[in-house]
Amino acid sequence: MTAVIEARNLSRWYGNVLGISEITLNLEPGITALLGPNGAGKSTFMKIITGQLKPNIGQVAIFGQPVWNNRHIFRRLGFCPESDAFYEELTGLEFLTGLLSLYGFDRKECLDRADRALELVELQDVSRRPIRSYSRGMRQRIKIAQTIAHDPEVLILDEPLSGLDPLGKRRIIRLIKEFRDAGKTVVVSSHVLPEVEALTSEIVLIHNGKILARGDIHFIRELLDSHPHMIRIKSPQYRDLARLLSSQDYVLHISFEPEASAVVFETHHRDRFFDRLNELVLDPGLDLEEITSPDDNLQAVFDYLVER
Amino acid sequence: MAEVREKGYHHWEGQLREKGPVFWPITRTGIKLAFQRKRFKFLFALSFIPAISFAVGVYVSERLEDFKFMAQGAEKTLQVNPGFFKTYLSQDFIFFMILLLMALGGAGLIADDFRHKAIQLYFARPLTRLDYLLGKAGVVAFFVGLLTLVPAVVLFLLKLLFSGSFKFFLDYPWLLLSIIFYSAFLMVFFTCYILLASSLSKNRNFVIALIFAVYYLSEIVRGISYVIFRSPYSTLLSIMGNLQQVAAGVFQVRPAQDVPWYLSLLVLSVFCLLALIFLRRKLRGVEVIR
Amino acid sequence: MREEIVRVFSLYFFLGKKSGRARTFFLLSSAAVLMALIIRTYRLAGHLTEDGQVIFQNFLMVFFLQFLIVLLGLFYGSSIVAEELDSRTLPYLTSRPVRRTAIIIGKYLAYLSLTSIMLVLAVLLSYLILNLDPDFRLKDLMTVLRYSAILWLGLAAYLAFFSFLGTWLKKPILVGLAFGFGWESVIQYFPGTTQKLSVAHFLKSLLPQYASSSGKLGFLFIRLEPTRPLVAVLILAGIVAVFLSLACLIFTYKEYLFED
Repeated sequence: MTAVIEARNLSRWYGNVLGISEITLNLEPGITALLGPNGAGKSTFMKIITGQLKPNIGQVAIFGQPVWNNRHIFRRLGFCPESDAFYEELTGLEFLTGLLSLYGFDRKECLDRADRALELVELQDVSRRPIRSYSRGMRQRIKIAQTIAHDPEVLILDEPLSGLDPLGKRRIIRLIKEFRDAGKTVVVSSHVLPEVEALTSEIVLIHNGKILARGDIHFIRELLDSHPHMIRIKSPQYRDLARLLSSQDYVLHISFEPEASAVVFETHHRDRFFDRLNELVLDPGLDLEEITSPDDNLQAVFDYLVER
Repeated sequence: MAEVREKGYHHWEGQLREKGPVFWPITRTGIKLAFQRKRFKFLFALSFIPAISFAVGVYVSERLEDFKFMAQGAEKTLQVNPGFFKTYLSQDFIFFMILLLMALGGAGLIADDFRHKAIQLYFARPLTRLDYLLGKAGVVAFFVGLLTLVPAVVLFLLKLLFSGSFKFFLDYPWLLLSIIFYSAFLMVFFTCYILLASSLSKNRNFVIALIFAVYYLSEIVRGISYVIFRSPYSTLLSIMGNLQQVAAGVFQVRPAQDVPWYLSLLVLSVFCLLALIFLRRKLRGVEVIR
Repeated sequence: MREEIVRVFSLYFFLGKKSGRARTFFLLSSAAVLMALIIRTYRLAGHLTEDGQVIFQNFLMVFFLQFLIVLLGLFYGSSIVAEELDSRTLPYLTSRPVRRTAIIIGKYLAYLSLTSIMLVLAVLLSYLILNLDPDFRLKDLMTVLRYSAILWLGLAAYLAFFSFLGTWLKKPILVGLAFGFGWESVIQYFPGTTQKLSVAHFLKSLLPQYASSSGKLGFLFIRLEPTRPLVAVLILAGIVAVFLSLACLIFTYKEYLFED
């Protein structure tokens, strides 16, 4: 398949701070997720491929054309920036029609397209309210609406799911998948693995401005599984819990925190561990107060890849 | 069955342990942030030029004989008396520098809190609206005091030191109180003025434009109405004119305009009162999460 | 290109109309109308004041020329890029199929139109309030229209200059204030070519002049050494063209980073 977005040796510094370093990436139609912790360089990469920033070194092209100052490309591109920024005085409808007018559509077409986009993100009811009165989730959805309203072939979505409630997330995920099915190229950034899993299996792992890995999500899953996870459970029956789980072969290590009535498990099979935990909550009916992961799983994978 | 607990925010009801006034951390942070702004330190240093030249004036006034060749014809100007302090504290340059410094370091005091929706974070802590206002006011008052009260008191002490006697103090026993009163008045007025402007918009640039626009507009209106009506009472329309009239009254010197100085004091006091009422209403509208 | 400019213009004229600051500046420019009303009422009450033309010249030289057009030009011009950076809305503009030059010119024209409405309304209304009486002639109307045109040219020049500052500097407002209310006033006192290094000089060359004072204290007064009217108009138009082009050039090649 031909690459729609071609990035070659992209590097970018902010003074002495490295944004991204020597990123070479070809992205084809379908959904590609950029996965990495905050500050990894995802947004910098997205700003460069949408022509908001210039790389210090390297080139980027969309449909074979350079991006910086190339207005012809912007007709085929939709960009959803990360920041929660709007022309607050405008209503949702005015915001969309205003931006659509920049494409040269006539008034009627602007209204039609805006209505369609509002319908897709389910904001028709509030379209005549000023954006400043929108909730966080609505603001995120109107931002996505302005990305898709002109029906672009390439969508660059920087953290599109942040601030959305689970229902809102599901809607947007469904919408993004519809774009994929329509043959469009979608690039999504996130630092939350389960969100990315729900969207695509094609991921690019970015850390410290570099690409650590690219490929199928199952490969990442395997890495996660080969790396032990820590799960801390707070419960008045924490010793019983430890006893019941100690016989499982996927539990590698158990330590106690008696002063906090908590137990910390190390496992290399998160899913199996939680399946069993669910069973134990129902029968014999253990009372759990808190479940946390002391080590961030994604961070653990990055650490593992960096060491490797 | 496992209990599902709600994870959320709970208002802190504990005892405040910090030493000193509750508003002090806000003031301290505001002052620190002002100094971190680009060009602020340069402008801050620049605003002490009048103080330095007035200090030289105090020195020369004590050695007029030695500086005869330079001070010829300027003996009157170099007389250190209440008028000398009035001139220092009510000169256009000092007012302009206060506005400039506060445009840089004070315009965002309230505007930024509204813009970044940070205002609720203050009231989610054991802080009242008055504490918040006092904390912000402290920042403006600090800089105004530093440009007015501190140099004027230093000039007063220099005069005593250079003259080597208490004669000056005995001649004008009320002068130190006048310096303190007028400086405090300037602190209160500029605090109300800057905080009012800062609360009118979330846009810092707009606030800066407003701070200067209102100040100069009042001066223009004074100028035009004086040309038309030829009435000295036109001065009551000008911020600078009123500040200078009050200074003349407090330092017991002849005012520039033949208008009772207490009228200017009244005009500015009413302005401050209205500003405080507006600020109170504005802050009352902020939803408090408890 | 023209079409792109029109698109940006329409969006920002609409946005500008809706913004709260437009109302504030409209109120500010109405100060002249309010003053004119007070004076007219005062005169109707039987009190004597200066002639309406003389009063209006005061308005013209002090309020409109040295204050309002500078302030409007400064705030709107410097905000052309700064407002997008402050509110982080710049990507909405720079990821659309419009040239960067069109963004600057479109926004410039939108703000020029908006501020022109404020200015011309205030000039016309205050003039009419002060001078409309049975003796009012067409000639008077032509005079005020000429004043309006000159002030408008000044506004366009300031707006272009401050647009340039706004695209060039990160924090243009303080530098703009120093230029608009410092340099522009102080430089008027200097003789010869020096005073020509300001926008105000060329505007004053086109407007009715005050008599310069002479004698011992003559140096304290502004001594205008006027430029010929046609040259002044050409230079003002040149200021617009040069600074607007510079603003476009900078905006086309410069990257703008948000403060993080």
